[in-house]
Amino acid sequence: MILNVNGSRHEVKAEARMLLDILREDLNLVGTKEGCGVGMCGACTVLVDGKPFSSCHLLAEQVTGKEITTIEGLSRDGNLHPVQQAFLDKGAFQCAYCTPGFVLTTIALLNENPSPSDNEIREYLSGNLCRCGSYQNILQAVKAASEMI
Amino acid sequence: MNQIKFLEPTTFSEASTLLAERGDDAKVIAGGVSVTLMLQQKLISPSILVSLGEIVNGDFIRLESDGLHIGALAKLHDLERSQIVREFCPALAHTFSVVGNVRVRNQATLGGNLSAADYAADPPSMLMALDARVQVQGAEKKREIPLDEFFLGFYTTALESTEILTEVIIPKPARAAYFKYTSISAEGRPCVAVGVAADFDSDLCKDLRIAVGAAVETPQRIESAEAMARGQTLTDELVAAIANEYSLTLDPLTDVRGSAWYRREMIRVFVQRALEEVRNDR
Ligand SMILES: Cc1cc2nc3c(=O)[nH]c(=O)nc-3n(C[C@H](O)[C@H](O)[C@H](O)COP(=O)(O)OP(=O)(O)OC[C@H]3O[C@@H](n4cnc5c(N)ncnc54)[C@H](O)[C@@H]3O)c2cc1C
Ligand code: FES
Ligand code: FES
Repeated sequence: MILNVNGSRHEVKAEARMLLDILREDLNLVGTKEGCGVGMCGACTVLVDGKPFSSCHLLAEQVTGKEITTIEGLSRDGNLHPVQQAFLDKGAFQCAYCTPGFVLTTIALLNENPSPSDNEIREYLSGNLCRCGSYQNILQAVKAASEMI
Repeated sequence: MNQIKFLEPTTFSEASTLLAERGDDAKVIAGGVSVTLMLQQKLISPSILVSLGEIVNGDFIRLESDGLHIGALAKLHDLERSQIVREFCPALAHTFSVVGNVRVRNQATLGGNLSAADYAADPPSMLMALDARVQVQGAEKKREIPLDEFFLGFYTTALESTEILTEVIIPKPARAAYFKYTSISAEGRPCVAVGVAADFDSDLCKDLRIAVGAAVETPQRIESAEAMARGQTLTDELVAAIANEYSLTLDPLTDVRGSAWYRREMIRVFVQRALEEVRNDR
């Protein structure tokens, strides 16, 4: 089975495995994290055709032929994606375990809604949990990113 | 979970025929939010997954003379943002927007949400209040089931083992409201879900349907309590009396989101708020 990840095609053995496991174990894309494993924390967020999904409850078979983007697929020629840069500038993390999920979800939010209000940001990101409680800085980073993009 | 075949029929009748041929070995997967979690927890071990993901035109959203028609494969996130749904019934669009988180809503289908018959869900109560019905495709024939008769118990519906939910049909409400009460976290599953649809002739209530879910095994209406409003002005006293009827008549369950006692109190509060909203929304 072929998966399109970050612009490259990868031959993988699927057998009804979760996309998260294939990304981490077979493709060594370990920027995608496992937190809860049941859809609640957002650590495993990837973009599928630009929309956020939990890779912990998505079968690889369900996303063949679609474009999957992980955190590793964002930088261009050594430059961070503007959302990554904004998270760095605002110090929007402590341990950073949640950061890949927050960055990808923010990219999807800004695609849907380029200038979201604080409430719209809070609502869209409400399914991403930060165990370190960096929420205020994350909010600042999303606002900074929305001005940059 | 090795050796699971993933089949992708392109029509509902093909999917239903596959179910008829493969019997208990086969499991339908739509968005797969529940199915993947059941697989991981080894609650199911099918040898075949019949995916509805490649069904052609299974996710339409269409206004017809008898109401809104939604294909079973429409994603909740698309429904919440659909201009057609928002104009048809803002409370319905709102209901879809409060399900879980944005990742769940991108993956979850309306047909899957209803077929899962999880009691801790949002769309079932709103859609029952709206008097929605579902179209079902069997191996041999199609039929229609009113949502009032669809939910039979925990994770159990009126669907036969070879039947597939293909479409949801929703008559246009005059006014509607949906209240989701969460007790643990804002984005969590509902502790109490209240859907209301009502029609008024100036101040007089002509028709009222209230469905309460998430606090009970399946969404439930109490027709005698609904009837208290017919032909009446919804005064604060009448609203409180109807809310009280729901609170006292339903037999709530206890789980992590609240005890039976607590839910009884919250049913009273949220039926009252939902009734006030339809009364005041003019
Ligand atoms: C973190 C999290 C939070 C959640 N929060 C909420 C919430 O707040 N409110 C809420 O309502 N729900 C919530 N859910 C549940 C979620 O909405 C459902 O799991 C989802 O809607 C199921 O839809 P699906 O398309 O993914 O179904 P699937 O997982 O594909 O299927 C679900 C079940 O229905 C059957 N099925 C699917 N489609 C059909 C069909 N067309 N005909 C016949 N049978 C079919 C399948 O065989 C399976 O048994 C949450 C889930 C998660 C993981
Ligand atoms: S690991 Fe997937 S949402 Fe938590
Ligand atoms: S920075 Fe540690 S979990 Fe968010």
